[in-house]
Amino acid sequence: MNMPTFNITIAKHGRNLVHVDDFRIDENKITFLFGESGIGKSLLAKAIYGLLSPDEFTITINGEPYNRYREKEETREIQQSSFFMFQEPSSHLNPLLTIGSQLNEGSLTGRLQDSGILQRLWEMTDAVDMKKMLGIYPKPYRPSGGEKQRFLLAMAFLKIEMMQESIPEHIKTFFVFDEPSGSLDNHFRDVFLSVLFEKFQKRKFTVLLITHDYSIISAVKTAGLNILNDISYKELSLKHNDLTLNNFKSEHYMSWVKIQQESKKTSVPAGARPPLLHVESGLEVFGRRLVISRDRKGGSSCPLEIHPYSMVYLKAASGVGKTTFAKTVMGLIRANHLKIDLNLHGTDITLTEDTPRRFWQSSVWGKQMAITFQHADEALNQNSTVRGTLSGLPAKKSRAENIDRMMNGLFEDSIDEIFLKKKVKYLSGGQKQRLNLFRSLVLDTDIIILDEPLNGLDFESIKRVLSMLKEKQKSGKGILLISHNEEIFDAIVPQENVYYLQASHII
Amino acid sequence: MKINRNRTPQGVLKQFSDLIRQRKDIRWLLFWLAGLLGLWLWDSIFLNPLAYELIRSAIVHTFVGASAAVAFSLFIGWSAGIALYFLENGRARSIHLLLMFFLNLIRSIPQIVGLLIGYIILTLLIAFGFLQSPLSQILWMAFVISIFCSLEVLDLVTERIMHFRKSDYFHAMLCCGIKESRIINIEILWKNSLSHLLHKLVSLFGVAILLQCSIDFIISVGLSTDVSLSNFPVTLGSLLAKLDSKQDILALGSMLVEPSYASRILFQHLQGVSVAFVIVFTLLCVFQIADGLVRQYDL
Repeated sequence: MNMPTFNITIAKHGRNLVHVDDFRIDENKITFLFGESGIGKSLLAKAIYGLLSPDEFTITINGEPYNRYREKEETREIQQSSFFMFQEPSSHLNPLLTIGSQLNEGSLTGRLQDSGILQRLWEMTDAVDMKKMLGIYPKPYRPSGGEKQRFLLAMAFLKIEMMQESIPEHIKTFFVFDEPSGSLDNHFRDVFLSVLFEKFQKRKFTVLLITHDYSIISAVKTAGLNILNDISYKELSLKHNDLTLNNFKSEHYMSWVKIQQESKKTSVPAGARPPLLHVESGLEVFGRRLVISRDRKGGSSCPLEIHPYSMVYLKAASGVGKTTFAKTVMGLIRANHLKIDLNLHGTDITLTEDTPRRFWQSSVWGKQMAITFQHADEALNQNSTVRGTLSGLPAKKSRAENIDRMMNGLFEDSIDEIFLKKKVKYLSGGQKQRLNLFRSLVLDTDIIILDEPLNGLDFESIKRVLSMLKEKQKSGKGILLISHNEEIFDAIVPQENVYYLQASHII
Repeated sequence: MKINRNRTPQGVLKQFSDLIRQRKDIRWLLFWLAGLLGLWLWDSIFLNPLAYELIRSAIVHTFVGASAAVAFSLFIGWSAGIALYFLENGRARSIHLLLMFFLNLIRSIPQIVGLLIGYIILTLLIAFGFLQSPLSQILWMAFVISIFCSLEVLDLVTERIMHFRKSDYFHAMLCCGIKESRIINIEILWKNSLSHLLHKLVSLFGVAILLQCSIDFIISVGLSTDVSLSNFPVTLGSLLAKLDSKQDILALGSMLVEPSYASRILFQHLQGVSVAFVIVFTLLCVFQIADGLVRQYDL
């Protein structure tokens, strides 16, 4: 049975949330669905899966009311034979049951013992350690986000094994993985992909993999060599309040990365100008010492320096404290042994943990340094409008002229009075992220710190943001990039400007 | 597919009826206004002109006084909250301590005692030739009430600032060079706390009416032979304390022994019953409106 084409409308409180025509997932293929965050990818997948509540949303699928769609035999078949892996691992796990009990619940009962799936996902052979892990009750910070995600993946893979063993081929399957690598580092992301592709090779099934991590394409090219014909890439984009689903050419992304790498080789080095910012390694915060070094293993520590006309990339494993470091450098978090040398309009000044807050406020924030926080949802006032978000920024005559030009560069055709009056909470996730970035980039500060600047952006927006960053760099600004998206930033930042952050506990 | 808004008279009527059905706050606000309108119509037909004029003045004075008390409370509470925040985070720690001491002193005084002191000062001011007009006397008492009610606004303002101060958006705006006073006043209090403040002010309207009626009733009954309220503007509290109003209220008790007396209550005892009705009905509606706001805005 083929997957049908869906025309879906989802509304809430009389307000249209999502509308898409001709939404089609290829049968017995692995479809990677890209698109900026908040555009409606998860909502559409949940609607097709029959997971949304008709009491909360007004939904029609192919002209039918949602209740009728949910009662259809095909929908029930999908729910019984397949698995939907939610984006946020914590919301999927029951905090009152141990991980082990949850992996043995319902139709999964008894499957875990015979399956080596946990060992595969953990790359672990020690049965004692695994037993300890299975006895844990999930709490917000335990196990870690990456571990929770791998437990959910294990559930999905157990369900896939079950389907492959006992469900006839004519029964429809539809496995949804919503941001499955969101909390995984690159290594475990690759492990997940290789397990998925192995299962797929054993017997084909329909997979929708929702992500906005475009660098997954390179990993797929490596891990899925044998099944490349069964993999498709699609991108959901918003045009005039309607969503459209387009094929995404992976070559497009790969060649773009290559061009970035080439242009990096030919770019002019920052030169021997004095640094705009010099941060000594070894600052102590929240009981940990943060050490900066030039090599991944953290061999010898060194100060982090940002020169004019340069982009600096700070890498660290998940949870080390990249964001804490950025906030400390901005003077938002108090740290011991903090020593920052800042070139303030030609004068060197030193900032330490004793520097009063009012100095940061009067001379540094928004004047010499700006930061874009990681999560646009938290960094923006949701009840403010787009225009309101930009009002109150330090005044400068030249900036007003630049605002329109820069906004058009970042938002393309979406700038009009209606957009400017729109409340932030009604913007898509990608629009929020662009607004979040724009608020810092529009300032005329010498140093810009960007924490995960590409979070939630689609490919076009990524290109626009990076071109704006390059423009800033060319104008003499120093940019500090903090991101887990190594492929893209390794492509644009020269190796000599890459730093690594390690944390050690203070005894 | 777009959701169409029906602009025909039937459509507008349906939207209005949906709004009343869904919004408890609006439903009770309309019910309150309808109740007062009904009372006004009834009294204008069946109440003697002198008593009618008294009730009309009492309602206007009470509601103007309560509204002014709410406005003063908002102003005082908001200003004190901002002052406390900046004094605490600035260099003037001693002024912060002094302000805290003063606010805690007010907090320690029972509201009714504070209002009695306010009346004493009002009497003295009148005796010295100040505050001669009824409006200035009402506004003075509204100000005295607001000194005690504003603490609730102050607590709310402080709580909202402390809540958002930990948020990323507060820090993100600071790091963009946006002035802290703008972040506090506009981004936190105006854009993110308006529903909380609205709920608080509606509740304070009820509190102000209750306090004003209580103190006017107490003073009118007479705690002292030296103080007379005969020249003060009439309010619901002072009107309720009048002998004929009290007799009207007592007449309600007669219904227990003689149920047929009920038919005369709404005609012969209208003054006292009207005053009692306005007070009780208003307090009930204010409570329900505030509860509706809690539900509407998930407070």
